[in-house]
Amino acid sequence: MSTATIQDSSRARRSRGGSAPRPPVGAAPLERSRRRMFWAFTAPAVLVYFVLFLVPVGYAAWTSLYKWDGIGPKKWKGLKNYQTLWQDPTFRHSLTNTLKILIVGGVLTFAFAFALMLILREMNRKLFARSVLFFPCLVNAMVFGIAAGILFSPTGPVDKILEALGWSHPPQWLATQHLSTMILGTLIWTATGYYSAILMAAVDQIPEYLYEAAELDGANAFQRFRHVTLPMCWDVISVCAVLWTVSSVKIFELILMYGGSSGSQPPAGSWNTAMYVYTEAFPTASTPQLGLATAAALVSLFMVIIFTVVLRRLLRRDPIEY
Amino acid sequence: MGSKTSRGPRLLAIATAAVLAVGVSACSSSKSSSAAGSSGKSGGSFTYWSMWRQDEPQAKVIQAAITQFTADTGIKVDVQWTGRDVAKKIGPAMAAGKAPDMWDEGEDVVYGAAAQNGNAKDLSAVLDMTIPNDNEKVSDAIPSKYWDSLPKDPSGGQHWIVPYEASTAGIFYNTADPGVSAAMASQPATWDDFINVCQALKAKNEPCLASEGEDSWTNGLWFDYLLNAAGVNFNDLAGDKTGAAWDNPAVLKAAQQVEQLVKGGYIIPTYTQTKYPAQQTNWAGGKAGFLMNGNWVTAEVAKQIPSTWKYGFMLPPGATQPDSMIFGFALTKNAKHVSQAEQFMAYFLQKKTLSGISTQADNITPRTDIPAPPELATVQKTLDAPKLRLTFDGVAGDWTTKVWNQNYLDFWHGQIDAATFISKMKSAQVSFWKSQS
Repeated sequence: MSTATIQDSSRARRSRGGSAPRPPVGAAPLERSRRRMFWAFTAPAVLVYFVLFLVPVGYAAWTSLYKWDGIGPKKWKGLKNYQTLWQDPTFRHSLTNTLKILIVGGVLTFAFAFALMLILREMNRKLFARSVLFFPCLVNAMVFGIAAGILFSPTGPVDKILEALGWSHPPQWLATQHLSTMILGTLIWTATGYYSAILMAAVDQIPEYLYEAAELDGANAFQRFRHVTLPMCWDVISVCAVLWTVSSVKIFELILMYGGSSGSQPPAGSWNTAMYVYTEAFPTASTPQLGLATAAALVSLFMVIIFTVVLRRLLRRDPIEY
Repeated sequence: MGSKTSRGPRLLAIATAAVLAVGVSACSSSKSSSAAGSSGKSGGSFTYWSMWRQDEPQAKVIQAAITQFTADTGIKVDVQWTGRDVAKKIGPAMAAGKAPDMWDEGEDVVYGAAAQNGNAKDLSAVLDMTIPNDNEKVSDAIPSKYWDSLPKDPSGGQHWIVPYEASTAGIFYNTADPGVSAAMASQPATWDDFINVCQALKAKNEPCLASEGEDSWTNGLWFDYLLNAAGVNFNDLAGDKTGAAWDNPAVLKAAQQVEQLVKGGYIIPTYTQTKYPAQQTNWAGGKAGFLMNGNWVTAEVAKQIPSTWKYGFMLPPGATQPDSMIFGFALTKNAKHVSQAEQFMAYFLQKKTLSGISTQADNITPRTDIPAPPELATVQKTLDAPKLRLTFDGVAGDWTTKVWNQNYLDFWHGQIDAATFISKMKSAQVSFWKSQS
């Protein structure tokens, strides 16, 4: 088994590198044909990646060096847009909010998801429970924004229930100072179901006999989770962590819907970097600042890359085979 | 094997033929449709993105005018009922070369998104056009004060919009509300008198003001009018890069007056916890005395108010000039069908056509010979003032989003006091202008 793994990984390395040393003349015909097929199969994907991702990123990086409204001539600014971002308290606050969503939201989402993994594996009707948990992430964020106005108003059902339970002064859910918390709460609620679904798919693959053996060894539910579930789906967890990092930085429609009133943008205190990019690129009654918007977008991209690399390193474990 | 290789090119040939055929038919159909379009009376067409959604009364009035216009002139109007998002879409559309010839919005949006950068065409020619059937010039039918109050575009022009709806903002109330009439024998002459009215209402457990707590625009109107009463120009205040304008004692006084409303407990208690239009609905249901808003609010609550309701309107005591906001048509910089669109603008200003804005959409028109809907008669009189000033003296755009909204809402929600509000505004404004330079 181990030999097979080594062979596979060396082949993958060679293929991925693309510039691997040419096999000696007279290498196996299979190897030669595989080499020939490599570019035939990879080129379309590389091309799509290049045209749809690298070119726009390059164009954005170029735009971020100019002051440009998208219509008139571009005015060279060099790195001044980045300096502006650094000096702009709104952007600094947006960056803090992004990190808050990423870290606080991430920790809580995965804490809940792990707790659910613990329960869902062993409960009856787990498929039904999973569907219920997954459901919120099918609902468009805009629905939450609109529904929140009804659900959490002082005369809405949430306050009515809390009052019936004896809480005479429930929190002012929709007050602007609670906007960030409400957004974070909704985010965690929708994301927990999503990540639980992915993680449970990994848990389902774990052979039952491992749990039986652990149980025979006297492991309790938490120990079974700690010593069987967690190590066995570590790879999936690390992928989920990266997915969360990437998606949490991009969230903005939820903020727009929760905080936006009939005529204006949400209060700047609730913005994250994506919202900042949006308001700079699509302002309501002023000139688009595409240079500043793309600079802010690139800062976000840079942040995602850093977080992903660090996360991948922190979560790296030797794969377990079974 | 042989048959296989020959089928390849044959299939290719058939596919090519099919693609060509579709292409040719597509070309020919587009030609024929454009030919049909130009076969009308004077012919041609233009594209128009509207700020109204199709189900709004203004859209119905404009749609009826478009239908009649096409029948009369043969000019087709390709209209999209975009809604308020037109404000965000028009800039990127102009950048991509996909913008319509004509669009409409409030003057603040048209200026901010287009005119201030020279991206709105000069419409002086429309002012000289004769309005069909009425036989008067546009500049005679629409008072020049509506243009005089507008900021100038880079070429110094103010004629970058042709207004069809005029509006102002102020304090609305129901004169038939026994609580209000008991507390207020006549409209207050001073700010203290107004506070006394609020106090009298509070004594009877009726909140003085309704307010959508999340909205910095309507709530900010208090500060805007109080600054006006104190002789401070909001635009000058916001445009001061050093922030020193905020040290003016008159500004602090205006803030303290707003603070009286907040700290005095005169605002409906749940105002910070709801979303639009919850508090407007409460006000229409008689749960608060006064509401500060644009005059379109009467149309918005028309179905909620009881039949006994009688509108009263006033400006905050001391305010010398009513706010003015106009909604009108503008042309994008690269508009191709200028003449057709301009003809439509003049056509829509006909007395019988424009009357729909008053009779069907329940709003005020800039034509003085079209009476406002009865509930807005007093409001229209305010707009008769010889000189108008723009809401917030024309401040809009990024400053509002980055400096004003959050700080004013914190202040309006009672989280910071007047002095802290002033100092926060000052420092945020200094940072803002530094980042803009």
